[in-house]
Amino acid sequence: MKLRAVREGLLLVALACLPAIGEGIYFRDKISWQSSIPASELITADQARSWGDGAIWVDARPDEEFARDHVPGAFSLNEDHWNELLPQFLPNWSPEKKVVVYCSAESCNAARDVAKRLRDEAQLKNVFVLQGGWEEWVKKNR
Amino acid sequence: MKTRILTLTFAIFLCAAARAELKWEQNTIDLHPAIADKTAVAHFKYQNTGTTPVHFKSVKASCGCTTTQSQKEVVNPGEKGEIIATFNIGDRTGQQMKTVTVQTDDPNPTQATTTLTLKATIPQALEIKPAFVYWQSGEEPKPKKISIKASKDFPAKNITAKSNGQVFESKVEQGSAPGEWTIEITPKDTSHPAGASLLIQTDYPKEAPKSFNVNVQVTNPPGAPPAPRPSVPNAPAINTATPAAIPSASPAGGVER
Repeated sequence: MKLRAVREGLLLVALACLPAIGEGIYFRDKISWQSSIPASELITADQARSWGDGAIWVDARPDEEFARDHVPGAFSLNEDHWNELLPQFLPNWSPEKKVVVYCSAESCNAARDVAKRLRDEAQLKNVFVLQGGWEEWVKKNR
Repeated sequence: MKTRILTLTFAIFLCAAARAELKWEQNTIDLHPAIADKTAVAHFKYQNTGTTPVHFKSVKASCGCTTTQSQKEVVNPGEKGEIIATFNIGDRTGQQMKTVTVQTDDPNPTQATTTLTLKATIPQALEIKPAFVYWQSGEEPKPKKISIKASKDFPAKNITAKSNGQVFESKVEQGSAPGEWTIEITPKDTSHPAGASLLIQTDYPKEAPKSFNVNVQVTNPPGAPPAPRPSVPNAPAINTATPAAIPSASPAGGVER
C-alpha cells in the first residue's frame, strides 16, 4: 500500500516535470538565465570612482540630458549622433584608460549599446557599464 | 435565502459582463527601414472588445529614441485606435528592439499592462572594421589595415580614402569579391600624438555619393593632453544629420533612457 502511494507520487512528479522539460528544450535559445551584461563588464560607482584619473567617463544619454547635468569630465557619446561624437571622444582616450559608460538608470539600455559599439567597432578594451547609471552616481556623489 | 443566492449570482454575472478589454492586433512589429531612412514607424492597432471604456494611464517607451502617440485617452466599447511608436534611427545600425509599455485602468492586472515591441533591422551601408585605428606614441609606424564591405543594398563599385592631416598615408586595395576593399594606413611619424579622420568616399548613389569617416590616431602618452586633430573634411559621414522633429509624445507618455 505504502509502496504504491510512493510510486504514484513519483509518477505525478514525473508527469508534472514533462511540460517544464519540454518548454526548457523548446525555448533553450530564448530564455536568458543571465543578465544581458556580463558581470565582468559591470562596474559599481565606488569601483569606478576608485580608478580616479585612470577612468574616462562616457555619457550615453541623449544630448539634452547630458547638457542638463553629467559626471564631471564625462564625454557625450550617444547613438543618436554617434558619427559626430565618436571623433570628439577618441582623442581623449588612451589605451591605459578604463572607459565607464552610463545611461540614466539601471533599466536603460543605452550604456550597454554604446559600450558594445566601442568594443566591436572601435575595438577598445576595458569598456565597462556603470551599474545603476546616472541615478546611482548622483546618489553616491551628491 | 433564495433571493440572496439570486442577487449574488446576478452580481457575479454583472461583474463578469462589465469588462474592459483592449485587444491588440499585433504586440510585435518588425520594421525594415531603408538605408537613408531617419525614422521607423510602427502602428500598434487596438480595439476595445469589452463593455466598459478603457482609459490609458501611461504609454512609456523604453528608450529616449522612441516617441509615442496615442490618438485618444479613453477608448469606448467597440472603438478602434492605434498607438504610433516612432523610432528615431539616429546613427544606429543592425538589430534594434524597443518596447512601449501601455498601462490602462483595466481591473484585470494581466490585461492592464501590455508591452508592445518594435523590432527594426537597420541596414549598414558599409561595414568598416575597425572604425578606429591607433598607434601608441613611440610605437613602430607599421601599416594597419581596415576592411570595408558594402552591403547588398549599397552597390558601391569604387572607393577612395583620404586623410585630413599630413601625418597619415592611406592606400586602397580591391578585395577578393566585388564591394570589398582593404585600406592600408600608415603614420609617417609616431613620436608625437596626432589624430585625423580618414574620409572614405564611395561612388554610390551616383547623384549624391555617400562618404564615411574612420578615426585614426597616434595616442598621447599617459597624462598628456589630447592629440591635436585637424578638422573633418567637408563631406559628413552617413547618418550624421540631426533627426527630423518627431511629433510630441502622448500626454501620458514617458521614456527611460
